[in-house]
Amino acid sequence: MNQNGSTPSPSSEEPLLSVRDVKKHFPIRDGVMQRVTGQVRAVDGVSFDLMRGSTLGLVGESGCGKTTLGRLVAGLTDPTEGGVYFDGGRVDELQGDARRTYRRNCQMVFQDSFSSLNPRHLVKDLVGRPLKVYKEASGTELTERVVDLLESVGLGRQHLYRYPHQFSGGQRQRISIARALALDPAMVVLDEPTSALDVSVQAQILNLLHDLQTDRGLTFLFITHDLSVVRHMAENIVVMYLGRVAESGGAESLFQQPLHPYSHALLQASPDVVGDGAGFKGLEGTVPDPARPPSGCRFHTRCAHATPNCGWEVDDVVRQLEDVPKVFDELVGVERSSAFDAELRFDNPAAAQGLATALGGMTIPNAMSAAMEPVVVKDSSVRVRFHEVPDVELTTRGPGREVACVLENFDPEKNGNPSASSAAP
Amino acid sequence: MTATQNRGGQSDEQAGLPPSVIASVKDLRVHFKSKAGTVHAVDGVDFDIHDGETLGLVGETGCGKSVTARSFLQLVPSPPALPTQGSIIYRPRDGAPIDLTSIDRERLGEIRGNRIAMIFQDPGKALNPALSIRNQLVEVFLIHRTDEVLQRAGISLDESGAGSTMLRRAAGLRSRRIEKIALGMPGLREKRNAIIAASNELVEAALFDTQIPNPANVMDRYPHELSGGMKQRVMIAQALACNPDLLIADEPTTALDVTVQARIIELIKELQVRRKTSVLYISHDLSLVRRVCDRIAVMYAGRIAEIGPADQIFHDPQHPYTRGLLAAIPSSESKRGQLDAIEGSVPELINPAPGCRFASRCRHATDICRTQNPELHVLDGTREVACFIHHNGDAPNPPSFAEATDKRAAE
Repeated sequence: MNQNGSTPSPSSEEPLLSVRDVKKHFPIRDGVMQRVTGQVRAVDGVSFDLMRGSTLGLVGESGCGKTTLGRLVAGLTDPTEGGVYFDGGRVDELQGDARRTYRRNCQMVFQDSFSSLNPRHLVKDLVGRPLKVYKEASGTELTERVVDLLESVGLGRQHLYRYPHQFSGGQRQRISIARALALDPAMVVLDEPTSALDVSVQAQILNLLHDLQTDRGLTFLFITHDLSVVRHMAENIVVMYLGRVAESGGAESLFQQPLHPYSHALLQASPDVVGDGAGFKGLEGTVPDPARPPSGCRFHTRCAHATPNCGWEVDDVVRQLEDVPKVFDELVGVERSSAFDAELRFDNPAAAQGLATALGGMTIPNAMSAAMEPVVVKDSSVRVRFHEVPDVELTTRGPGREVACVLENFDPEKNGNPSASSAAP
Repeated sequence: MTATQNRGGQSDEQAGLPPSVIASVKDLRVHFKSKAGTVHAVDGVDFDIHDGETLGLVGETGCGKSVTARSFLQLVPSPPALPTQGSIIYRPRDGAPIDLTSIDRERLGEIRGNRIAMIFQDPGKALNPALSIRNQLVEVFLIHRTDEVLQRAGISLDESGAGSTMLRRAAGLRSRRIEKIALGMPGLREKRNAIIAASNELVEAALFDTQIPNPANVMDRYPHELSGGMKQRVMIAQALACNPDLLIADEPTTALDVTVQARIIELIKELQVRRKTSVLYISHDLSLVRRVCDRIAVMYAGRIAEIGPADQIFHDPQHPYTRGLLAAIPSSESKRGQLDAIEGSVPELINPAPGCRFASRCRHATDICRTQNPELHVLDGTREVACFIHHNGDAPNPPSFAEATDKRAAE
């Protein structure tokens, strides 16, 4: 094992860290026996590379799995499948010294400095702890190293013997950063480091992070929901939605021309990035349950540009009609042969007919109607079938850009019109 | 009637409110007692809210914006707060102006939730987890809209007699225990049920108005079963149930995702236009406030730094603090690592020193800034700025902002 993870890698093309098809599923336990009844797919097949000295921005709404991914990278949880590779080794398989080396090379800064700094410890202990644990320094040397670290983040010797509660939010975040830098790591995972801060303090912290990166050649994985921050900080961006990558690419090109409807919606929703945000009405509905993610493209349930090929399935019948009164009141059972084919049984034929009518009604998006085969009503059961569609894979579009969208040429101006969009393959 | 008019006339004179102003905050001071000394959280705030406008109150954490908003409805707990000084004059659409800081509890109860309503930051905490959505909303109607509920239920308002008073009290949630038993008896029971049905109709209509899909279904659910955006809609429905004259929205979208935030903002805007409600919109997010508000008041350390039309504040900020705030937002032009951050942090508000509160962080601070408190001065007719750059004490020809800043930058 290489001491300090220092495999010589002179070529800048070599990524410092590779995430390969990593998955993290959390079991849902139920009942007296706590049997596993399902899986929450927090991260469901994500890959990216992190280049030495660069910043990668990880963006998405709450619940999209970005924090879990950050924890996977930092080695705080082990992936269910796939792996995180650092300098050629798989992080979750590292043992003993190699694991310690990785831990010191990959540090993390958390969002909430209130809960990530022990209120009973002095700043000197908080920042000096990593040095002590790794037996880097002790006694006066330790104090001096801590002072150096504090000075590098804009604090000073006078702050050594204070407790976290005596600092403002911005200063506490500086302490967290100093602690993360104590062991001179190669990379730092920044999990929403500025979300709890005011803009003026946020600007100070962002400047600080940039300076530290240039001085120490740090690699950042910057996790945030704030697009203006990520645009400012990152060279590359990964947009996540429901545990998958929706789009990735260089920051500027992604902001100039988003190729996925979800990135487009995110950009629109954040007024300081694109224009004044006038005219954008937000996204329909809520993020679907990650325990039962939609088939095909996971975003199709909320997408304004959805086509018949986006993966419409039986669950969408429920998603679309659950807010229509009385449709499912008399449902007695569902027999599904696949995600795309199911028979819904009702109490009486009238209720079955009611569903059939509702499926032809206005609440159903055009794209979904087009993907649906004619509904068969037999007595009091309804058979709903959709064209089977494989999962949408990330495809390369242009240099460094990858997009998971069935639309070859996504045009934000054009609203989704299923009849005009590309026909079924 | 004449009495009201007289009283109205008198108070009008006293308050000196122009007719277009619905609420006027005058020299509001809210101080808190603490071990270390008196915290001057709000220290002389003045602004007017015009009829039908949206006024944004912007500032960083701890600048006193929430305390200002809560003072409108006497929601600041006292102690630790010392008695509020100054006044908040509210002029109802029909009636005499009222000073909200000195009004008694009973009259406040008539206004709170009825004429002035509030939306809070975290809908998860503001809704009662033990009540169904229906019961959260029904209260508002029964207490403030008793007559309307009775009318809908087909119970004549003119009926006199013990039964009628009892029903009226029941509809207003003021039943006594013995009356509750009586209301269960046949005869009264039907009428009580009619009242419940009528109030449910009103709740459903209110939920429908905030674009909640399938309100009949949502009514029976509990807050934890709803998503954040949905909960915020319920809270908006609750706040707007009585068609208030003034809606105070305290960071209504801070706890929500950006995509949901856009929808909630659209909703508030649309409802405001339709119902002609005035809104006091509190936020720390300048770019968001620009989308929602007609006018913006920028607060710093318990005082108003600048107040004026939203466009002007954004395109031509005149207070160094506003400039700093706008420059601190990362934009496509700002170079990495060179964000124009405001140095330092918000000063202590415990027994603050005289002078401009921003002086310690201001690049353009001069001696006068450290000794005298700048007052709000009207600048080009529409906006007011509290900065000595524009009103240089007794100096005959104060330099313009641009001149002053350029000169000092050059030095």
